[in-house]
Amino acid sequence: MHQVETQITRAAVIWQLLACVLVVLPHLEWLPFWVPLLLLLTLGARLMIHQGRWSFPSRLIKLALVVASSLGLILSFGHQSGPETMVALLIVGMALKLVEIYRRRDALVVIYVAFFVLGTTFLFSSSAWIALYAAAVLTVVISALLAIHQRKGVSVKQTLKRSLWLLGPAVPLMVLLFLIFPRLEPLWSVTLDSPQATTGLSDNLSPGDVSNLARSDELAFRVTFDGEVPAPRQRYWRALVMDRFDGRQWYRSQETGALRSEKLEQTGDTTGYEVVLEATRRPWLVALDQPLSAPTGMQMRPARTLELKQDLNQRYSYQLSAALTYVLQPMLTQAEQQHYVQLPDSGNPEARALAQRWFDEAQGNQQAFIQRMMQHYNQSFVYTLSPGRLLGDSIDRFLFDTQRGYCEHYAAATSFMLRSVGIPARIVTGYQGGEWNPYQGYLQVRQYDAHAWVEVWQEGQGWVRLDPTAAVAPERIESSAESFLRRSSDSLAASLVFRSDWMRSLQLRYDAFNFVWQRWVLNYDREQENLLADWLGGLDYWRLALFLMLPGSAIFAFLAWSQLRRRTPRISDPVDAALFKLQARAGARFNAREPQQSLAHWLETLAGDWPEQEGRLLRLAELDNRRRYAGSHSDREAQAIIKLAGELMSQLPNRTQR
Amino acid sequence: MLLRDQVNKALDALSKVLLGKEEPLKLAMTCLLARGHLLIEDLPGMGKTTLAHALAHVTGLDDTRVQFTSDMLPADIIGVSIFEPAESRFRFHPGPVFTQLLLADEINRTTPKTQSALLEAMEEGQVSVDGERYQLPSPFFVIATQNPSSQYGTFPLPESQLDRFLMRITLGYPAPAIERDLLKGGGTRHRIDQLPVCLKPEQLVEAQQACEKVHASDSLIDYVQRLLQHTRDHAEYSYGMSPRGGLALLRCARCWAWVHGRDHVVPEDVQAVLNAVVAHRVRAADDVASREGDRLNERLLREVDVLGA
Repeated sequence: MHQVETQITRAAVIWQLLACVLVVLPHLEWLPFWVPLLLLLTLGARLMIHQGRWSFPSRLIKLALVVASSLGLILSFGHQSGPETMVALLIVGMALKLVEIYRRRDALVVIYVAFFVLGTTFLFSSSAWIALYAAAVLTVVISALLAIHQRKGVSVKQTLKRSLWLLGPAVPLMVLLFLIFPRLEPLWSVTLDSPQATTGLSDNLSPGDVSNLARSDELAFRVTFDGEVPAPRQRYWRALVMDRFDGRQWYRSQETGALRSEKLEQTGDTTGYEVVLEATRRPWLVALDQPLSAPTGMQMRPARTLELKQDLNQRYSYQLSAALTYVLQPMLTQAEQQHYVQLPDSGNPEARALAQRWFDEAQGNQQAFIQRMMQHYNQSFVYTLSPGRLLGDSIDRFLFDTQRGYCEHYAAATSFMLRSVGIPARIVTGYQGGEWNPYQGYLQVRQYDAHAWVEVWQEGQGWVRLDPTAAVAPERIESSAESFLRRSSDSLAASLVFRSDWMRSLQLRYDAFNFVWQRWVLNYDREQENLLADWLGGLDYWRLALFLMLPGSAIFAFLAWSQLRRRTPRISDPVDAALFKLQARAGARFNAREPQQSLAHWLETLAGDWPEQEGRLLRLAELDNRRRYAGSHSDREAQAIIKLAGELMSQLPNRTQR
Repeated sequence: MLLRDQVNKALDALSKVLLGKEEPLKLAMTCLLARGHLLIEDLPGMGKTTLAHALAHVTGLDDTRVQFTSDMLPADIIGVSIFEPAESRFRFHPGPVFTQLLLADEINRTTPKTQSALLEAMEEGQVSVDGERYQLPSPFFVIATQNPSSQYGTFPLPESQLDRFLMRITLGYPAPAIERDLLKGGGTRHRIDQLPVCLKPEQLVEAQQACEKVHASDSLIDYVQRLLQHTRDHAEYSYGMSPRGGLALLRCARCWAWVHGRDHVVPEDVQAVLNAVVAHRVRAADDVASREGDRLNERLLREVDVLGA
């Protein structure tokens, strides 16, 4: 008996299935393969059941499905309790509910869950495209919700239009809430494991590490400068300092007890800048050589590298100032000297011998020794991303056999030789260069800008940057990794950055757009406080409350007004226009006309309420009746109506007089 | 004496027999003027038969009453051809349907076969027996009465046949004061014969023609169309009004206007006849027993603006 009311149209079913597919699409990337399959199965079943070809599944089949998918979830996610598990559970629940839609209520449940699944998309991505996609899908889900309540024969276009109409008033509210709603710390925090391991610097360096990294064009970070932008050869972004060598790889020593915090004497201007660092899953940060001090929330290690107290799991922005010219740690203690010349007792004998020979030839002059070393690189060495494998004593093999390498090979060999003759040296890893984006005026640094260089300590000058790469491939330092790779004969390297000019400009524009999105939409909470304080002249509670309530109630008032106002049709006929005007005005003073009252009938009723004008009202009623229903087309009567209506309006009592 | 005054005199006379039932009487007269057939739906003993008899009397029409029973056959209504040995041929003996005003009492007591025989006669104005056509008299007016179909032993008329009736009205219980008079007077059936005959059948036909000339303006036609459209567009209706229903509504509104002394139709005329004309032609989406037409009509009037927009 209630079938009539609760039957869902075919169009509604299609909408519903479409909504289910669209909300799950963004999750495909990480969902275990069987979840989409299950969804497809239940979608098909829903369609077949609705068409009457299949019957509803029996209790046993449903039980089997529930058990199987529960097992599947346990197998796929094991003990994890992260958001992936929860979202997968939600999606599986939605998929299973599809096969048991008996009533309208059940269909509504599916739609509501679809709304929720759509919301969870933002747990995994917050790019502008996903936001756009979510907005589009939201329209579809609302259409599905509408379709459930609609009768047959409403076109797709009408449904979509209706759904957009519903979403329309939400937009100003959304903007307002975005601007002023306080950003609360999350009540609970979820750690999201990135589906693919993020590429980034690690805290040890063995041959091949940086060149591996350089095979990725993923974004590492973006920088905006307060003032002048440093020249490419000054753009050394320090991340880590490696001070120990175990014969194979360089790494950061854990015991820093012997090391004092290094003293920086600034000798030039200060450069202020802001870094937006992509998530690295590591605690360390990048800073332009050399940072002046560590902002709150960060700590500075003795070698003046910055790091956070915990791993960086989301995009992070921070402001720093750097000194481009400086003297760093002009004096070393005995212990520090010892620390920075540490080498394993044996290994790489040929390199040690060569270093000793050159050092002797230079008669102990450090500058001359370094000069000699750089010249050597410049003569016969090749700078390449594909150096081949180095077995055994890697530094010997590199210096004497292959003579091919990327920056980490040069840095490692250089600091090894420096240390072997007793000159304090260390390896710094980080990034060098970056590509300038002219559209938003910022520097974008990608993983292929990763770099390793050497810092050497010299009496009186302190730690000095020494980049052997500049000797073997100066264009890498002078321009950028990007342009170096482009010109490189290495096909792999070239393919990484191969772009025609218009593609390059397109890519830059796209990156600029993403930057704006991240800075002003995703990271708006950082700006919000300043912006609000600026606008409101303070951040007292009453100001905030007022600011939140005033526009909010204005929007609600507008919506209420547009919903409630009497829709008066646009009238071209002057007689009707006069009468409708009278009807609106007199209706507001006395009783308004009921829809089922004809105008004449209403005027007669009005004559009872407004006896002073009874004669005019009755005359007007008669005239209107003649014109509207008795087929009279007299112009004189039409004029009389307009005149009477005008007179009546001028006679209307004020509200206060009654 | 003007035709219209005679009709009103007839109405006055009728209200002396059916006390306090001016509204249903006027609707019944309107239905007669609109050349439609009338279905009165009420419990037994509410004055249905009295109304039919009195109406026949004051309009001077021949009337025949047929009590429908479950064993009745079409021939019992229409008539039958019987072989006459003297003339050696079949001769048609007309049934009770050959009359000017037929009172079909408790039409839902008989089988669908017999019902449809009558309803066909109503629609065509003629009957065919053995390939011969026999014209029914003019005017031909059927007043059918029906017990509410929830009672036992009835064959409810299907929607398609309900549609043949121009109006469906109910009489309802009398008001307390009137019922007291009724009880004192000891019934009114005997007063029917004392009623004056106010109209001749020719005059009735003339009045019917006059009604058709009543003017319906574009504004009014728009209003009627909006009413019809509303029943088709809204989900509370299981199905909307047919164009035939719309024509019926306008026809009745014309007659109502004429009876009230107007030569043009105003929205109030449409509203006055709306319930009688429309209630049995629509069905609420959630209504199985088809009892909710009145409730729908109330909303229909509230929701459709007379002036449009």
